Amino acid sequence: MLNNSTNERGKGRSLIKAFLLTLPMLFIMALMITGGSGLPKDPLHLLPMIIAYIFINGTFFLMILTMKTDKYRSLLFVTYALCFVITFISNLIEVRGSMVLTHEDMSQGHTPFCHMVIPMVIVPAALTRTIIFPGSMLEGFAAIGSMLVLWLGASITLGKGWCSWACFYGGLDEGFSRIAKRPIVKNINKKWTYLPFAILLVIVLTSAATLAPTYCAWLCPFKAVTEFEEISSSKILLQTIIFFSLFVGLVIVLPILTKRRIQCGLFCPMGAFQSFTNKFNIFEVRIDPEKCVQCNLCVKTCPTFSIDEESVKKGKPKITCTKCGKCVDACPKEAASFHIKGTPLGVNYEKARLIFIYPAFLFLAIMGSGMITGAIYRVLLLVTTESMFK
Amino acid sequence: MKGFLLGLANGTFCFAYCAPILVPYLLSEGKNVQRNFITISYFLSGRLIGYLAFAIVAWITNLIVIQNLTSRTTILGVVYIALAVLLMFYGFGTKEPHCVAKSTKALKKRLGIRHKYLLPVILGVLTGLNLCPPFLLAFTTAVEKDSLRQCLLFFLTFFIGTSVYLIPLPTIGLLRRYDILRPVGRLAAGVMGVYYIYFGFITFQGSIH
Repeated sequence: MLNNSTNERGKGRSLIKAFLLTLPMLFIMALMITGGSGLPKDPLHLLPMIIAYIFINGTFFLMILTMKTDKYRSLLFVTYALCFVITFISNLIEVRGSMVLTHEDMSQGHTPFCHMVIPMVIVPAALTRTIIFPGSMLEGFAAIGSMLVLWLGASITLGKGWCSWACFYGGLDEGFSRIAKRPIVKNINKKWTYLPFAILLVIVLTSAATLAPTYCAWLCPFKAVTEFEEISSSKILLQTIIFFSLFVGLVIVLPILTKRRIQCGLFCPMGAFQSFTNKFNIFEVRIDPEKCVQCNLCVKTCPTFSIDEESVKKGKPKITCTKCGKCVDACPKEAASFHIKGTPLGVNYEKARLIFIYPAFLFLAIMGSGMITGAIYRVLLLVTTESMFK
Repeated sequence: MKGFLLGLANGTFCFAYCAPILVPYLLSEGKNVQRNFITISYFLSGRLIGYLAFAIVAWITNLIVIQNLTSRTTILGVVYIALAVLLMFYGFGTKEPHCVAKSTKALKKRLGIRHKYLLPVILGVLTGLNLCPPFLLAFTTAVEKDSLRQCLLFFLTFFIGTSVYLIPLPTIGLLRRYDILRPVGRLAAGVMGVYYIYFGFITFQGSIH
């Protein structure tokens, strides 16, 4: 059984088998993209849907056919992040007129809620029964309730897999980390892998103390590509300088230099918080000690610093593993594999991979389809009307 | 409230630097969780004594030095920045700050078996009197207080805030995970240093305006 699956992984699947395994995704995505209400007649809306449908399902088909996870996941993940930025900014400009968030918007609860805020709202919510975020609980675009439900579902299903399969920011530094052929900066002190947990601790404490989401106000690099507060004081100017610098440093420059997801692996407090969900999630990556030849290729390729020599010896990555599948694809001896907790190690690992990638890819595809469709629509609008806005 | 929040924010540093004194002691004694809690309470009592002593020093400093300064806000702003840099240096760097409570062997010998219970109290007093960066930051805030009652209250709440992190130490599970928690505590202290730099600049800017 073990040898058969090893041989299968090397060759890939037959076209017919891969197509049959892709069929469920084809049906689900058809329902998701159309919303179950049929196809629109307007070509400006129809074309983006068709392109997104083909792209997403094509990616999944290749993932099944080649038995490689990371390459195709990454393609969709990065596209999703880029399309998120295009769609989000376009929507903001269309609704508000700019990316700037005014005090009026905040007081009216018009700030879109993102998962980054979740660790900061828990303690104040428990203490004061108030969500310390100027957003709406149920109404409007990116309401707090819908985001929390989405995050909870993804956390139960994927654990920290959220960071490589669902987060709409992660694809940005992943994209930049794949630009250079070889890393220029190689040696990064291990202690910095604890920094996300330290930042998490500080922001949870300061948010509870000040009853304000301190990470959003001071440290979120992604404000540079979403929305930011109107510069009306030297304090807001300083905050703006900080998040722009963090975006350039952590999301662009350092990922290019190191070929690693620096923002995700060495900074993101949400990622640190999400790590704890790996404890109860049934999916994990394991390293079979019997097959492992200690080449440390997994250590070198792990984009989020989740595997070191010690974890190779232990046979599993650290709690911070995002289940991206890069180590699984890179391992020359097929020692690294997706695994379902409670099942024997090294047996049926392709089945375990399939059982994992169906829900994981579904999350990525459902969240990504709206963004990809939206972004293609904006581009088509620009081409046909010379404006991205209606 | 301010003292408590300051303590809570800086407590990670105490966890990273004071706990190494306490953890080996607790481990070497090898007692159960209940006994460890008693030891911790001795340690914290000693620490409280040290803090309250410093509250008196802060009040005296206010009376003698601060009230006579013409540009006190400017000086406090600069002190905040300097201490924040120190906090960042210890938090992000590899250097360990010197702690007066570090060498306990001689003390243990001198106390003998009869007064053994005094050791955690003395360790507590020594860590309480230790001039570490977060403590100095608290001291800088305390010297701005006008009365002795305010100074004592500030240090009492600061003590409660910093103690939050030390209370779970007696539980065996946490002691096992200590090697992971320590770098997190250190780095968190460094991140807090960044915040204090901002706070120092604001204080300094306020003095100019």
